[in-house]
Amino acid sequence: MLSESARMSTAHEAGFRIQEPNSKQRSIKVIALDPSSAVLVDQIAKDGWSGASFFTSLSFATQKNPDSASDGSVQAWLNDLAGRALDLMSEVSTCDFVVVVTCAGEDARAVTIIADACALYHKSLVSLVVPQEGMSEQDVEISLKHLRPHSRMLVVAQGIDYIEVMLSALRAG
Amino acid sequence: MLKKEQNDYITQTGPGTPMGELFRCYWLPVLLSEELPEPDCPPVRVKILSERMVAFRDTEGKLGLIDEFCAHRGPSLWFGRNEECGLRCPYHGWKFDVNGQCVEVPSEPVESGYAKKIKLKSYPLIEKGGVLWTYMGPPERRPPEPEYEFCAVPLKQTYSSKRLQECNWLQAMEGGIDSSHVSFLHRGDLHNDPLFKGAAGNKYNLGDLSPVFEVVESPGGLLIGARRNAEDDQYYWRITPFVMPCYTGVPPRGDHPMHGHFWVPIDDHSCWAWSYDYHPTRDLTDDEVAAMKDGKGVHVKNIPGTYIPLANKTNDYLMDRAAQKAGRTFSGIAGIGMQDASLQESMGPVCDRTKENLVGTDNGIIMARHRLMRAAKALAEKGTIPPGVDVEHHKVRQAALLLKRDVPYAEGAKEALKAKKGVRQTSV
Repeated sequence: MLSESARMSTAHEAGFRIQEPNSKQRSIKVIALDPSSAVLVDQIAKDGWSGASFFTSLSFATQKNPDSASDGSVQAWLNDLAGRALDLMSEVSTCDFVVVVTCAGEDARAVTIIADACALYHKSLVSLVVPQEGMSEQDVEISLKHLRPHSRMLVVAQGIDYIEVMLSALRAG
Repeated sequence: MLKKEQNDYITQTGPGTPMGELFRCYWLPVLLSEELPEPDCPPVRVKILSERMVAFRDTEGKLGLIDEFCAHRGPSLWFGRNEECGLRCPYHGWKFDVNGQCVEVPSEPVESGYAKKIKLKSYPLIEKGGVLWTYMGPPERRPPEPEYEFCAVPLKQTYSSKRLQECNWLQAMEGGIDSSHVSFLHRGDLHNDPLFKGAAGNKYNLGDLSPVFEVVESPGGLLIGARRNAEDDQYYWRITPFVMPCYTGVPPRGDHPMHGHFWVPIDDHSCWAWSYDYHPTRDLTDDEVAAMKDGKGVHVKNIPGTYIPLANKTNDYLMDRAAQKAGRTFSGIAGIGMQDASLQESMGPVCDRTKENLVGTDNGIIMARHRLMRAAKALAEKGTIPPGVDVEHHKVRQAALLLKRDVPYAEGAKEALKAKKGVRQTSV
């Protein structure tokens, strides 16, 4: 329209984009689902992320059957990296979305409980499968079988560095 | 988001840049065969990866892609006379062959051998599937010729077009792997476009607007699966392959030809959007080819005699607010190609990714960027040949299929994702 004072997409026009932040700090909960991924998550957490907090879900293992945990109560505990037990529900309710991490072939059934919490609070669940030495296609499939029914996005990465790449891209840094 | 230095790293493809060196590992589409239709036809100016060249087909039909500017005093050889196996500069008559070798300097005696000491930079130019391809890397790293299925089938089974896109190649390419936009931006076209409509799978696209995504690294790039609910305890899967550095396939619909794209940097502010359609087992019909030439499907109607879209930024892409309001198109822009291009160009010549706010379903884009930057770094630091150079990586197909919910995607779609001569695509 002739009345418009901005035109399409020249390099010069692009320079007039308003330089104000367009978003607030995100809160991402990163939860390791198994002992191997807990080691990775522990390492990554040391880099210092202002928008992400890191947990292991190893305390789920003390429950009798993770698959049957969706009994409506969704009572479960996370361990933070200092070893403190934190209420899963409270952590999920205050975040923007949840990322679960598992190493291919490990027991990822704890995702069921986390997914229930995400569903309750309408949070997206992103699942990430990372490799470990000697893994096979079957190992990846085992992980996918656990994660697929619950994940909004499922990623199978060839390198463990992808966890950090993804968190940076999602502004958790 | 990317930091500014990361955005610069991945978007700049000129000589000497890390991404530029990465692109120089591959055969890239440069021209349509129709642009150099016969021996001694007019030469064509070419700019790819921020290098200016001129392409010509000599008297014997040999193809040449050489430095655009005459080695004498620098005029463009686009003005040259394409005659007797060479391109002759009209200024002082210097003549160059398809390898850039100067073969005549009229002002100097032939016996002096002066011409032999003059040579313009040249790149190989080959013809495959109606497309002219070049490789701009070091000769010792020249890879085998491309074997993408669209350029390997007989010519009657394939059709390619190209259009100018006035933005950086990456934001254009990212549209090709961003499956989640289809249910919004392109929703009107599933009913109307002759190259999409009628496929049984369309109902799943329109019936489930919240697909679930799976991103898997493949040897040549990525596979991005979008899963939607279907009847009888099944999922409807649409699987998009991305082959590095800039090839994407669009999952097929019914027996319509399969299509996809190459996104080739012209410079850092513009790119060629290549679109192909092919059928693995049959000739394209006259109606299909007519539709493609008319800008349907993934193709675009260009200004006659050019490869500039008829709807472009100078006319606001022929925005139709009434169609937008009525829902005939979601964005008000007609045609899938320009629906994408209009939004991608509106991001600016180079999208400022420091300002973006990605979500979990953008992991296909995050992973593609990661793989590109990782490969560029490995090439620069260790000389590692990147994914997508091996022609086996080209032999991947897009697929659309129904799978029982308990069938693993990698297993259920394994054969569907392989290009096989004489075997029909897997499509719903």
